[in-house]
Amino acid sequence: MNDMSAQLGQTQPSLRREQFVFSGSAREYFGIWIVNILLTILTLGIYSAWAKVRRNRYFYGNTSLAGASFDYHARPVQILIGRIVVVAILIAYNVALQFLPIFGGLLSILFLLAIPWFVMRGLRFSARVTSYRNVRFDFTGRYGGALLAYVFGGLVTWLTLGILAPVASRWMWRYTLGNLRYGDRPIQCDPRLEKLYGQLVMPMAVFITGFIAISLLGIGIFSTASGIGYDLENFSSDIAMVGIEAAIYAAFIPFFLLYVLVGLLYRAGTRNVAFNETVIDGRHMLGSEIGRWRYAWIAISNFFATLFTLGLARPWAAVRMARYMATVTALHSAGSLDDYLSTVMQPEGVVGAEYMDVEGLDFGF
Amino acid sequence: MASEPEKAIAGVWYPAGSSRATPASLSAKGSEWKAVGSDGAVLTTGGFSKLEISARVGAIPRRITFADGSTFETSDNDAIDAAIKPHGGRAFGLVHSLERFHPRLALFVVLVVVLAVGIYRYAVPAMVEVAVLVTPPVVPELLGQSVMASLDQTVFAPSQLDEDIRDGISKDFRAIAAFSERGADAFTLNFRQGGPIGPNAFALPDGTLVITDELVALADDRDAILGVLAHEIGHVEHQHSLRQLYRAAGVTGLIFLIGGDIGAGIEDILIQGAALTSLTYSRGMETDADRYSVELMYRAGRDHAAIARFFELLRDHFHDNSESDFLSSHPATPERIEETRRYAEELRTGGE
Repeated sequence: MNDMSAQLGQTQPSLRREQFVFSGSAREYFGIWIVNILLTILTLGIYSAWAKVRRNRYFYGNTSLAGASFDYHARPVQILIGRIVVVAILIAYNVALQFLPIFGGLLSILFLLAIPWFVMRGLRFSARVTSYRNVRFDFTGRYGGALLAYVFGGLVTWLTLGILAPVASRWMWRYTLGNLRYGDRPIQCDPRLEKLYGQLVMPMAVFITGFIAISLLGIGIFSTASGIGYDLENFSSDIAMVGIEAAIYAAFIPFFLLYVLVGLLYRAGTRNVAFNETVIDGRHMLGSEIGRWRYAWIAISNFFATLFTLGLARPWAAVRMARYMATVTALHSAGSLDDYLSTVMQPEGVVGAEYMDVEGLDFGF
Repeated sequence: MASEPEKAIAGVWYPAGSSRATPASLSAKGSEWKAVGSDGAVLTTGGFSKLEISARVGAIPRRITFADGSTFETSDNDAIDAAIKPHGGRAFGLVHSLERFHPRLALFVVLVVVLAVGIYRYAVPAMVEVAVLVTPPVVPELLGQSVMASLDQTVFAPSQLDEDIRDGISKDFRAIAAFSERGADAFTLNFRQGGPIGPNAFALPDGTLVITDELVALADDRDAILGVLAHEIGHVEHQHSLRQLYRAAGVTGLIFLIGGDIGAGIEDILIQGAALTSLTYSRGMETDADRYSVELMYRAGRDHAAIARFFELLRDHFHDNSESDFLSSHPATPERIEETRRYAEELRTGGE
């Protein structure tokens, strides 16, 4: 990377900063969103493939950089076939678990080993159906990289209670961004470990402080509440039982929220690091400057707004997040973006993409 | 205010697979469309039928791909729609016109809510009934055999009860099972040492029943034991495990149906919510099996309030340490005891 910057310095001393712009509006997206849901229900799910294409085209097409927009080219029928295959696989897997509980462990391991394959194919599909300035992206990652990034990465993070999370993040970003190609030109991404660790400090501190605070508060509340529970038992054991169940649920909520908050803070930080160390075609540099608290605030307030409006605020929330992510992302271009060529690739791997969709793994631009 | 087809549409043109953008205009006259550069040179040309025109979504740029792979891109959506119109491409804009911001969207919201509630309340239960009807008998058989085999390997030990106690219970069990719709031969009663699951009884969908030594020791009352077994026969007769399986599948399907873009967090909440409602659903099944026990015992001429007595036994025994699994899925609540007693009383007074 160092000699790359040196090279950059020689040929193009000044990089031009191009800001990503998102031009969609909640008003416009609301119509697309509700019609998507309505037609999906009326067609018993078949329209969901068309809905996905319209949704993605709306978000990609409204994201522009240097005056040109992105586009999404997947064909609805392709998506539909992918969805049917994924649903069939998931049903088969669950039926197998029901009928062969003895082999449950073996089946789960097989499934776990299949996930990287789905991820690899899914990333490839998503890249190949995305274009910018008429040139398609491509993804060249292999199975091994996905296994490392998604299976071992997850294991390592959990087993070390997050202490090795930056190692996993490095695998993940190197795999997803570093294997991406724009046309026939490579994209490099190699976030440095010490920088990723730098992004762990603040979220960890928040976690420890929050954990202690919630625990102290919880002990205080519980010592008063358990007295009430005991009284209630004389009235009706049923009510007491419901009360205790609710209290256990309620006690987990603050911890869960804390976990979510810390995850958001950390994720935003690593995205900044990874993007800022991403070089496209050896000369254009990506830039990301997410405000970590701002990002967490948008994500959490979006969630509650959607929850309290029974879903109706979702279009507004999605547009709000897309707009924010665009304003904090930029390309430092070292000259013309004219000379790129698509390599013609079949957009295969739709099953992987749909599996990721069902499992909520999303790597769209 | 449709623009005349003669008017050129401004945009940019890309050669096939290239990022080199050339300012251009599109002349969409008749069936032969042309992309023309700013110097007037024709960049490409193609018959309308060979063009690939992207669908209109919001206000995003439109792409017109020519047969040679080159692409003309414009933000002038209205002009493209006007140019397509003479070619009879009405269906092109149908979805887009539905999506426009309009009071009609409020109607769509109401429709979505009504449909979702309707599916949840009526379509899912109806589909569960149909699925149960068309399920071949081999499915519950396989299900029962495999669960029994895995439980025997992991949890259970052979029963340590006296042979004559077991024979006695088995004989009485066959006597009451003979009054069920399926008849005594549809059921097999197994005795096992429960180990970690303690005093327990359960039924598998193929009619395999299991009762643990611990439960027999705890009850020490033949009619109470038979009442519990009658309750389990009820689960089998009403195919509760299949129903629960199908219902879970149906509700999950419904969540995916409406949850296309609702945010990962909300989708998780819906799934958690579905798990909670399936808990109430299974409580409903327990009540159903309780009533079945009372009815069957009554038909068999045994003490049909026995199951209520068993619940009282459980309640007294586990009052302080509710460690039993049986208790968590079969809570011995005062309401439940009262309800079974009331139903038993109703049968007696109604029957005599």
